Amino acid sequence: MSDFYEFDTLSLHAGQTVDKEFGARATPIYQTTSYVFPDTDTASSIFNLERGGHAYSRISNPTVGVLEQRIASLEGGSAAVCTASGMAATFCAITAILSQGDHIVASSQMYGGNISLMKNTLPRFGITATFVDPTDIDGFGKAIKDNTKLIYGELIGNPGLDILDLEAIAKIGSQHHIPFMVDATFNTPYLCRPFDFGANITMHSVTKWMGGHGAAIGGVVVDGGNFDWGATDKYPTISEPYAPFQGINLWEEFGPAAFATRIRAEAMRDFGPSMSPMNAFLLLQGIETLSLRMDKHLSNTMKMLDFLQNHKQVSWVSHPSLPSHSSHALAKKYLPKGAGSIVSFGVKGGRDAGKAFIENVELASHLANVGDAKTLIIHPATTTHSRIDAQALVAAGITEDMIRLSVGLEDIKDLQSGFEAGFRAARKFAGE
Amino acid sequence: MYFDVNGKRIFATTGGKKFDNSLPTVIFLHGSGLDHTFWGLHSRFFAFRKYSVLVPDFPGHTHSEGPPLTSIESMADWLNDAVESLCARDISIVAHSQGCLVALEFASRFKDRVKSVSFVASGLATPVNSALIDAAENNPEAAIAMMVGWGFGSAGHLHQGPVPGNSMVAAGRKIMRSNVPGALAADLKACNAYSNGKTAAAAIDCPVQVILAGKDRMAPRKAGMELVEHLHNPELHIIQESGHMIPQEAPDESRLLLRNFIFSNNPSG
Repeated sequence: MSDFYEFDTLSLHAGQTVDKEFGARATPIYQTTSYVFPDTDTASSIFNLERGGHAYSRISNPTVGVLEQRIASLEGGSAAVCTASGMAATFCAITAILSQGDHIVASSQMYGGNISLMKNTLPRFGITATFVDPTDIDGFGKAIKDNTKLIYGELIGNPGLDILDLEAIAKIGSQHHIPFMVDATFNTPYLCRPFDFGANITMHSVTKWMGGHGAAIGGVVVDGGNFDWGATDKYPTISEPYAPFQGINLWEEFGPAAFATRIRAEAMRDFGPSMSPMNAFLLLQGIETLSLRMDKHLSNTMKMLDFLQNHKQVSWVSHPSLPSHSSHALAKKYLPKGAGSIVSFGVKGGRDAGKAFIENVELASHLANVGDAKTLIIHPATTTHSRIDAQALVAAGITEDMIRLSVGLEDIKDLQSGFEAGFRAARKFAGE
Repeated sequence: MYFDVNGKRIFATTGGKKFDNSLPTVIFLHGSGLDHTFWGLHSRFFAFRKYSVLVPDFPGHTHSEGPPLTSIESMADWLNDAVESLCARDISIVAHSQGCLVALEFASRFKDRVKSVSFVASGLATPVNSALIDAAENNPEAAIAMMVGWGFGSAGHLHQGPVPGNSMVAAGRKIMRSNVPGALAADLKACNAYSNGKTAAAAIDCPVQVILAGKDRMAPRKAGMELVEHLHNPELHIIQESGHMIPQEAPDESRLLLRNFIFSNNPSG
């Protein structure tokens, strides 16, 4: 064997030990709540974190475990924990290290659910956030307070598509000894591995491109294993004794997997946002073809960009691969294979034209998701980002006429033909 | 816990229990470039079964103050100083790779302290490829890649393992990056220079156990069998499917073997 397996090999094999009893080639779906212990000593040692193993599927499950190890391998992380959704992953990661009185510095250009979590929900529990324009690097440093415990952002901002300067922000985090967590949903590890650029934690909504088929909701937190939790007294949940496990010091015992262990030991046990084995199986099937799908997503995206840029009814098109995009240079640096398959564009004729387009476009599905094998469209201002205020909408780079397009894997001619149907319906609002 | 050895601040995990020198002690020794977390799937087990556990980071490794030690003999002396400072007694040594060379020296020179020795993935000597030493001195990332690449067997490289969600290969890289600069090179040079293995092995008179791996590319079975030949009446086990990193790749099998051996040869009340 070569010293290290490559991405495509890991996508297919990582984490799975072939079932010894029946030799099942696909990962079995261990649809069980619990596991028979061979003896009391084994049972107590699993509960006391003395050894690996499964006790109860809220905490861990063999099928989910394969997915976790596969994603950890693809990201280059030391450990991963899967959750019921991407939002659950974000929540579990934050609560693993932040408590009442703590503060987050976050990019202003994020999924509306993330903004709502940090702006509306977490403050009820005493955790506050300051939002910073992702292109304002100095702004991240200026927003840091004594109680700041986390820097958070999406590598490809949703839906404005500004690219985070990972190395610059990781440097700020390092200077202040604050971990830098990246929502890597839009890029997947095939396009960029944030740990290679200094990030300390990543999360994904694996519902999206990782799973890729719109069949299962899921999330994951990946521990980069590259943050020194014991260097200061700022992270007592990791570096000080944890009473429920006989005073275990996770940092001392588990080192590069301490953060992930805290999530499993606390969030999965006490909050319980576990991923189902069936969903893990479906998501594993998706990951097996991740690179193939991403390559097709990217090639279709480039063709759709060309189509939209040359369409007389399109007022503007935004994608980081376009030289006109403000993040074009950063996209070339961090996403050399391609800057993802989300495109934002405006239809001439404003909100009404956009509405007519969405209701009449063919093939593209009007729904609140991205990263499906099928092409998806939505109007963010009235849907995914409707729960954030006007000021936050502007900060997130969302305009009234914006349509978010998640380019799928259909034949490009059929896709463009379907778009023409939408443009025909929108024509009357464009003054033509 | 942190404690002082020869004026330097040293870290050792005690497996989640306070170190108690009235109990028999199990000391786990890590290999080149590694640290205490390498034994995490063994140390806590013994700590919760009436043993005092000590898993030190050798000087210059992860949490222990440097500089790194430069010979196997000096590491054995340092270990004796650490044991003395903690008044540890009835010691079972469990060692991996480079740690086995330290264990050979320690157990042969400080016989009164030692109740048993378990050698995991080692021979009498550890000759090191000059390209690896050169990389450790001049291109640490390349050296870490070689160590991790050669160290783990196919299961490790496929990120399999009994701890849900954990990638032992990635964790291995992170651990090696946490050492002070030069620690890996110092370890490898110390291994390469060590030549007293035969004499030391012959001088050990406590019960000994040897656990080898069937797919070890760093300490091949042939080298391990040479160690077996020079020890007095060793208990030999071979874990066929594991690579060199037995404590991580085959933790359940190796823990059971260690448990049975230590419980039998160094029982705790």
